[in-house]
Amino acid sequence: MIPEAGERKVSKMAETGGVLSSAPGGAPSRPMRALRLLLFSDYLVLVLTLVYVAALWLFVPEILSPTNLQDVFLQILPLFIAALGLMMVLMVAQIDLSATSIMAMGCVVGASIMTGEGGYLAGQPWAPAVAILAIVAIGILIGVINGVCTIVFDMPSFLVTLTTMMFFSGAAIWYTAAHTSSGSSIGSLPPAFLDIGYGGVAGIPYAAIITVVLAIVVHLLLTRTVFGRWVRAVGLNPKAAAISGVPVRAVVIGCFALSGLFAAFAAIIYTARLEAGTPILGQRILLDVIGAAVIGGVSLFGGKGTVIGVLLGVLFLSAVDNGLQLLGLSLSSVYAIKGGVILLAAVTDAIRHTLMARG
Amino acid sequence: MQINRRQFSATLAATAASATTPRLARAEGGKTIALMFDAFDSDFWITGNSILKSKAKENGWTTLETISNRDQNKQNDQVKAMVERKVDGIVFIPTDNNAAIPAIRTANAANIPIIFFNRPPAPNDNKYVAIQADNRKIMQMTVSTLVDIAKKQGGKYKAVLLMGDLGDNNAVQRRDGALDILDANKDLVEVASRVATEWNADKTFAGLTNAIQANPDVNLLISPSDSEDKIIEQVLKTAGKWHKTGEDGHVLFAGFDGDQNGYRLLSEKYMDVNGVQNLFYEVDLAYGAFKDIWAGKSVEKMLIDPGFAISQATLDAKRDDMWGYHVWKEKNK
Repeated sequence: MIPEAGERKVSKMAETGGVLSSAPGGAPSRPMRALRLLLFSDYLVLVLTLVYVAALWLFVPEILSPTNLQDVFLQILPLFIAALGLMMVLMVAQIDLSATSIMAMGCVVGASIMTGEGGYLAGQPWAPAVAILAIVAIGILIGVINGVCTIVFDMPSFLVTLTTMMFFSGAAIWYTAAHTSSGSSIGSLPPAFLDIGYGGVAGIPYAAIITVVLAIVVHLLLTRTVFGRWVRAVGLNPKAAAISGVPVRAVVIGCFALSGLFAAFAAIIYTARLEAGTPILGQRILLDVIGAAVIGGVSLFGGKGTVIGVLLGVLFLSAVDNGLQLLGLSLSSVYAIKGGVILLAAVTDAIRHTLMARG
Repeated sequence: MQINRRQFSATLAATAASATTPRLARAEGGKTIALMFDAFDSDFWITGNSILKSKAKENGWTTLETISNRDQNKQNDQVKAMVERKVDGIVFIPTDNNAAIPAIRTANAANIPIIFFNRPPAPNDNKYVAIQADNRKIMQMTVSTLVDIAKKQGGKYKAVLLMGDLGDNNAVQRRDGALDILDANKDLVEVASRVATEWNADKTFAGLTNAIQANPDVNLLISPSDSEDKIIEQVLKTAGKWHKTGEDGHVLFAGFDGDQNGYRLLSEKYMDVNGVQNLFYEVDLAYGAFKDIWAGKSVEKMLIDPGFAISQATLDAKRDDMWGYHVWKEKNK
């Protein structure tokens, strides 16, 4: 006779399998097997994106026009860069809410250096380069401040980055007002800098080159270096990581610095495209940045994340946005549909993880 | 229910055909105008949107709406989407006047007329038309009227100047217009506090509350938008300063926009003056510009709404030009 525990184990497996099986306790049917394969696939988000686009194509065929696809591709680049930076922080089980304020602060400082209307280096050929270095330096500096406050002073990263977000948002507005007569933004940026936004070489946009290079760097960092292993270890269990000799503080500070650096690169591309340094740059995209990372499989609890996952998350969110823009729906409809679609994607992912955990 | 592949394909084809029918029907109806807002953070924009849609309908036009939630980058991307939809015209309300310039280039490249509604772009050489209320001048008229009332009443005045979001050019102009008059009347009015409200209810509440706590003898208040009237009423009531004209402790109060709250407060004698943007006139200017452009006529780059100031003394004479009065009348039938 089969022991009771064994019977219970078999029936529990049947119960779990029965969720995706039309024949209780029997082999799953072909559609159910396909559904299971899809649900547990790392490319589920990509499939959801394609299904969404296909559904919308019935109403707005322009969604698949070459110009629209090109526009969407260019649009996702800075968001993807920002989301990669945030992924690093999420992987060590922290959060960075200040990414968009880093963008704002960096862009107005950079603009004030190179603007043709009384900029510090107005008219100088090296003004764009110095401005870019300044934006990058600001990103790293704020990132390090966040990291030190979080791990050295043992403060919750939510609180630290929320306060730096508020501080630097205000500082960006004050800085802009101090550097312009209109007070709203700093324009007249040099053409050499603006070229980063939509210019390119050999038909490849500069923004795409920057994005691909950064993505490769992050991927290699996470998969081929000791630092990458440390990041996962700290995210999964910081105490165990510390005991194993991982320099937890340096890793966390490093991740925050990277988040700031990547926010700075995103700011450079956004500023070039907007052709102005504006203190409200990125103010509304924080949830998009976090949402893209989470939908792309980056765990909010740390230890898990991939570059390709973040890319798919960004693609999904951008496809949703683009579709709603093409439909020209009212605001209430846009919010409802976008929220519903993202919720569906998040719930699907949660169900998937629950089922995978059950085996 | 069992369904085979042929039935599925037939159903999908029928769905696709029926889904495209409404779009075909709409295309035959006339022009399509994209109404591209940045936010609906005040009655001015909600009513503006409503007037734009109703007047478009009167012209036999269809409207598509987008809203960027104050993200200029997103709004610039939305212009590209509207170009893909092949709209015939764009009514554009930008968040940032400098950062909106790329959107003009996108529209120009597609040969679609773009009209900036109530918020012009930074000066540039691209093709566009801008409808603008002369915010600075309207605020000068408003505060000037308020100062005249103060002079008649006599005494000295301590003022709180509320400013909106200083990333918004309209807010900057209104602030400057108010300061033009206040600076010329320093012997009469002292500006005790300037509060940047960022068009945010919580910040307005907190900023005004703090200003009154720090200066309990404030007796003059200038607001940059009637969207903040309810918050102002709340704060002044809490501070024991919400009194009508003629009552002891009345705070001289100037509003801006001319919405239904502004009309109500003027008629109830809590507000003394209001600076009004003539929304109906601005929509007529915009749609007139579209018709001229489509007909191949040249149009001035800047079309100005001169606006006006309305006070308790001139309320009956001027209220028919006040868009908020019509909204109030509709709601209080």
